[in-house]
Amino acid sequence: MASVSIKNVRKSYGPLEIIKGVSIDIQDGEFVILVGPSGCGKSTLLRMIAGLEEISNGEIAIGDRVVNEVLPKERDIAMVFQNYALYPHMTIAENMGFSLKLKKADKGEILSKVTRAAEILGLGPLLERFPRQLSGGQRQRVAMGRAIVRDPKVFLFDEPLSNLDAKLRVQMRTEIKEMHQRLKTTTVYVTHDQIEAMTMADKIVVMHDGIIEQMGAPLDLYDKPANMFVAGFIGSPSMNFIKGKIAAEGFAAEAGGILPLGGNVPAASVGRPAVYGVRPEHIQIGDEGVPHEVVVIEPTGSETQMILRPVGQTTPQKGGLTCLLRERISAKPGEIVKIAPNPAMIHLFDHEDGRRL
Amino acid sequence: MNVRKIVNKLGLAVCVFLLVSPALLFFIWMLSLSLKFEIDNGAYPPILIPERFAWKNFTGVFESNSFLLYFWNSIIVTGSATIFALIVGVPAGYGIARLKAHKSAVVIMIARMTPGLSFLIPLFLLFQWMGLLGTLWPQIIIHLVVTVPIVIWVMIGYFETTPMELEEAAMIDGATRWEIFAKVAMPIAKPGIVVAFILSVIFSWNNFVFGIVLASRETRTLPVAVYNMLSFEQVSWGPLAAAALIVTLPVLILTVAAQRQIVAGLTAGAVKGG
Repeated sequence: MASVSIKNVRKSYGPLEIIKGVSIDIQDGEFVILVGPSGCGKSTLLRMIAGLEEISNGEIAIGDRVVNEVLPKERDIAMVFQNYALYPHMTIAENMGFSLKLKKADKGEILSKVTRAAEILGLGPLLERFPRQLSGGQRQRVAMGRAIVRDPKVFLFDEPLSNLDAKLRVQMRTEIKEMHQRLKTTTVYVTHDQIEAMTMADKIVVMHDGIIEQMGAPLDLYDKPANMFVAGFIGSPSMNFIKGKIAAEGFAAEAGGILPLGGNVPAASVGRPAVYGVRPEHIQIGDEGVPHEVVVIEPTGSETQMILRPVGQTTPQKGGLTCLLRERISAKPGEIVKIAPNPAMIHLFDHEDGRRL
Repeated sequence: MNVRKIVNKLGLAVCVFLLVSPALLFFIWMLSLSLKFEIDNGAYPPILIPERFAWKNFTGVFESNSFLLYFWNSIIVTGSATIFALIVGVPAGYGIARLKAHKSAVVIMIARMTPGLSFLIPLFLLFQWMGLLGTLWPQIIIHLVVTVPIVIWVMIGYFETTPMELEEAAMIDGATRWEIFAKVAMPIAKPGIVVAFILSVIFSWNNFVFGIVLASRETRTLPVAVYNMLSFEQVSWGPLAAAALIVTLPVLILTVAAQRQIVAGLTAGAVKGG
């Protein structure tokens, strides 16, 4: 086990800079998730920690050792790939024991370590099979087993669940988290799925365009997003953004209507243009509030999602609003409802650079 | 609907027949020739299936001592050229695929496309100077011009389709470059190696130009030997066709047995995972 420190790391391919100065401190035993849309540089960063990509600038250290120039095999890490990368010509046992075999460990030791890992992951009966004879979930487990067998200082996961179907993904999520709680190995995990990030991480690093937008505990990111990008990326369905101006009595939306601000707005900012952010789950439907027309209703049983638009608007994009309710709704498309955001749960952002106000 | 299906099938059959017939018909004619006595060969109208089969055409081929010698020569030349091509070409194909050295791949292709006669004469002089003429070495060496590029090109296609992640996983697992090649990349490319082997054997076995220039009486390979059965005074078609069939047979069997892999090998890299 070890900490990982990433200091001002940059990566460029020719003139194109992919990662523009990233610093992260990962504590010993911490589960850190790098999350962001595709092309944000999260996988490249992970591959730099693994040693599969060169570091153009900056420093990465595992434990006390700077590993910039250290070969992947000497970094004492294990990596799980998106497509599992199991050796197709080897049995499951051989796949899991390959790293030990390369280290010239004796057969008894390999066998006992492989058996132990197989027990942790419930792979015992499959050890003599080949990867092609396994289902997606089982292959995923073998890939994890191969990592466990090495007993590395750091686990690296590169979008390990994106090839699985939705149900299996939820199940494997739990398994990976349980494995981390049991082994307590420092873990860096890359995903584009913010739900994976929210449910598994000790610390989330939100990346976008090669920089870190925000870093922190999952619920901190949810409660206090640093900017509109993080606010829109974390949380599902994503946050509603409403353009308008701060007014004395509340927030005056461009589309019309006054939305509540909770009274903590400094007087100086009255009249200032801004973006009003409210999560779909923090909007209530009631007798008071701004009238909106119902466009679509999507019930899932446990909750109801409604797409609304301000009365008088014809395009749902402009001023369209998503709203998530715990209770079941009898409203029909075309009807008018009144919405009231919970003033304690709203966010205000700068209308130009998107920073939190 | 049913009539249409039948018409479609018939149409397909006719097209296939038209396309295949040039290749097939002369094979059939060769087979017919090899089984006919000399008297039937010149008959008009031509006889396809003779009343009596002339098996002695075949036995005659084997009765001549030198035929077995030429057969052995062919095996030595093709075998050595293929084995050496695999030893050199498989790692070379791997290197080119991994380093994306497409330019060197093109250079190899050019070497393959250069007409044999352009370098045969200088090489002939070189071999003469080295005193290698009269041995099989000149032919083995020059067959590499055919076999090495084939092996390299087939292997490039195969190695390019093996996912990079497998090698990265091995790298993290602690394998050196050489171990990655020997323990991960090469075992996965085994079907490719088989295809490269087969294609190399076929092309080397069938090669005629190199042999006709470089072979002496004792070092002829089979295609050259068959050619030498043509004489100015008289052509005995029966024994000639029988010899030609025997020469073609190993390659024919190999091609029929491995046609699926050969097609897959030639198109490797064209389609992802293909």
